[in-house]
Amino acid sequence: MKKVRAAIAVLAFAAVTALALASCGGGGDSTSGGGGGEGKQGGTLNITYASFPDYMDPQLSYTQEGWSAMGEVYIPLLTYKRAEGAEGAEVIPGLAKEMPKISNGGKTYTLFLRPGLKYSNGKPVKASDFPYAVERLFKVNSGGSPFYTSIVGAEKFAETKQGGIPGIKTNDKTGEIQIELEKPRGTFSNELGLMFVAPVPQGTPNEDLSASPPPSTGPYTITKSQPGRGWEVERNPYWDKANSKAMPDLESGTIDGAKVTVVRNPQTQVNDIEQGKYDYMENPPPADRYTDVKEKFEGTQFRIEPTISTYYFWMNTKKAPFDDPKVRQAVNYAVDPAALERVYSGQIKGTQQILPPGMPGYEKFELYPHDMEKAKELLKEAHPSDMDITVWTDTESPNNEAGEYYEGVLKELGFDTKLKILNADNYFTVIGNQSTPDLDTGWSDWYQDYPHPNDFFQPLLSGESILQTNNGNFANISDPQLNKEITELGEEQLGSEQEDGYKELDKKYMELAPWAPYGTRTLSTFVSSAINLESVIYSPTFGAYLSSFEFNE
Amino acid sequence: MNSTNRAAEPAEPESGSAGYGPWRLALRRFLRNRVAVAFLVLFFLIVAFVLAAPLWADHVAHTGPNETHTLQKLHVGGEVREVVTPEGKPIGPQWFEADGRFFLGADSRLGRDEMVRLMYGGRTSLLIAFVSGLITTFLAVVLGLLAGYYRGWVDAVIARTLDVLWSLPVLLIGIAIGTASALGGIGIGPLHLEGGSIWIPILIISIFYTPYVARPIRGEVLSLAEKEFVESAIAQGAGPLRVMFGELLPNLASTIVVFFALNIANNLLFESALSFLGAGVQPPNSSWGTMISIGEELLTTQPLLAIIPGVMIMLTVLSLNMVGDGLRDALDPRSKVRFEAKTGIAEPEGAAV
Repeated sequence: MKKVRAAIAVLAFAAVTALALASCGGGGDSTSGGGGGEGKQGGTLNITYASFPDYMDPQLSYTQEGWSAMGEVYIPLLTYKRAEGAEGAEVIPGLAKEMPKISNGGKTYTLFLRPGLKYSNGKPVKASDFPYAVERLFKVNSGGSPFYTSIVGAEKFAETKQGGIPGIKTNDKTGEIQIELEKPRGTFSNELGLMFVAPVPQGTPNEDLSASPPPSTGPYTITKSQPGRGWEVERNPYWDKANSKAMPDLESGTIDGAKVTVVRNPQTQVNDIEQGKYDYMENPPPADRYTDVKEKFEGTQFRIEPTISTYYFWMNTKKAPFDDPKVRQAVNYAVDPAALERVYSGQIKGTQQILPPGMPGYEKFELYPHDMEKAKELLKEAHPSDMDITVWTDTESPNNEAGEYYEGVLKELGFDTKLKILNADNYFTVIGNQSTPDLDTGWSDWYQDYPHPNDFFQPLLSGESILQTNNGNFANISDPQLNKEITELGEEQLGSEQEDGYKELDKKYMELAPWAPYGTRTLSTFVSSAINLESVIYSPTFGAYLSSFEFNE
Repeated sequence: MNSTNRAAEPAEPESGSAGYGPWRLALRRFLRNRVAVAFLVLFFLIVAFVLAAPLWADHVAHTGPNETHTLQKLHVGGEVREVVTPEGKPIGPQWFEADGRFFLGADSRLGRDEMVRLMYGGRTSLLIAFVSGLITTFLAVVLGLLAGYYRGWVDAVIARTLDVLWSLPVLLIGIAIGTASALGGIGIGPLHLEGGSIWIPILIISIFYTPYVARPIRGEVLSLAEKEFVESAIAQGAGPLRVMFGELLPNLASTIVVFFALNIANNLLFESALSFLGAGVQPPNSSWGTMISIGEELLTTQPLLAIIPGVMIMLTVLSLNMVGDGLRDALDPRSKVRFEAKTGIAEPEGAAV
């Protein structure tokens, strides 16, 4: 997911990741399953975010801000275990009674809804709410819709927005939900665990509900939302009465709720955490304070959290001058990850490929070692007719500085550049709208939605992911052969053969150079002295789980 | 302060004052105001400083205002200093240790030369303040003359419009317009300003500060229009345009000059506020406001990055305000009383403005 977007998923996976996660986390991140039970019960958490999420709507949000805000508000049929490391990557039943029964050669998924579930408004959760949520996803043109076009009839529904999706059959009496896929999809269980398809009550308007989020099923519910300013969550009144009994394996949490305030100055955020005005900041401390905070608070109030992410500059392959691969390759030679490591104060580690370290299929290569002279030569060969370009980035530091660095590099190459720095709240919405003029090139990032390399190709680089709005394929690249390879690899369960396939795919895309990737990032958890840091469970996808926070005694 | 000193000096020969025109007399009065003169010199020094930006950039710093030097190393004596450390800390002021390179250090983790950006940023800030001052003054004079001369419904419409404009939360609206136009620019009829153009803050400042100058001008026109020389001109058959621009305007000159100076100071502050809040000059271009904004992020470790452009703004605004006050004292006929009271020097006969 973009921006720290992303990611859902659940941390997870593999031994390599497990090791990485275990090593980070300030040591014994022992807290699996949250709520260590040693802290004080109750209390309202004061949280600060540097920007408001893209949407406060489960079907629309596709940023880490949004997913961390709503991760324990909207529960999908499947979900991820509230734990760190490899354990947290495990897909577990959410609203569904158990994991899906997969039949028909991987094309049919059958699940049963747990009985007795209720929304925060007291209405019962029905099996038919699931297809309603999937249809709503398509009706609001969500950026997450490409994950579900393999459901029979979904593609047609995406175009017509009428007639329902015949591939989903439900029975409200028995709670049965049967999903038919056009072809097998190795990542579908992961995708059923994304908030995009978390059930919402039928009749929920098919529009952005950020100012008035729909009723929810998790331990917490959003009681107030003021886009751009903040929101409040309280205990779901039907959690204790109904849902926690139906889903005993999901954490209830100890705190009563949270008040979230958007504070756009990260210096102020750090000061406020130090003074105890806020209990937790969702974003990392600003680069200038990072070292200081780390030295003063690591282990007690501060912890570094590794992520599975790629930071990159995208180039719109449908428009001159970036419709020429030589121009894009020249840009790759010109961008220097070593310089960007300093721009991010050492919080990124330089890479020049799509897949980040820790992701299955990752194998380090470097097609474009920094060489400005070679970049200029390539550009001279390409001789693009249009040298006027607009460079996009958002206001959040240091992404804004990365954008300024990139603009400077392009200028040095001879481009006539204009830099546009947008508010981080709506950056991805604006650049994901194809009608926005001058979408030539710009900054983006991607955090894993789930621990599968398909997540770094299908939503970002596949032709089928090019959408009119909420587009995630900012490069607008659609190579028929590579599209086919993505589809074929996605149909299979991940194994060593598939991992080799993704390795090759990574190289093939970087030869086409739709992006200039520059690094993978570490994030952090920074809490006030009132919070028990040990209890906080951090997911590289959902951020810190709300249910894991505890006040110190 | 200056009045005390002047009082001790011998009075100028009366003979030399006889027959002075009003402007020359005003100049004499201004030059006697040592504080105003000192601040005028300071203002000229600031202007000279920012105009010298290309010279400093090309011959001393050897870099442009937007060039990044993230990985560059400086060789100072036998020591190697990184412009930006691996932890992202920019280098501090080098003064002349590195032959003038990074004289005030680097501005951020991008490693741009702070001194070069200060000079170029000052050019941008002063240009915006000056041009918007010209536009504001032009609009204010035209509106003030129309309202004061025609009165009636013309005055009602103009005066109320100015009242409404003046009662708006100027900074908030300026931020809103600046932020919105930073993306798509502003289109006014056939005129389209690209997002990021410095004409956007110029336009915002010009429009919102017009009442600041137009209201007093209108008041003065209302007063002047009652005078005999205006009635005399009308009696001689002068049309509205001639009366407004031939009779009234010259009598407004002193007010206009004073307000122009003060207006530039206000515009500079407004531009700095807009740029600081991201609604004025857009990155990577610098202005003193954007430099404070960038410096704010590094306030704890590199406070000079925010303080120096702040001091530049303060000195420029202070100098313009003092010059404006000096001009008012020199040009306003009523200041004669104050002038005599302060200096003990009698105004030459027949020299009243």
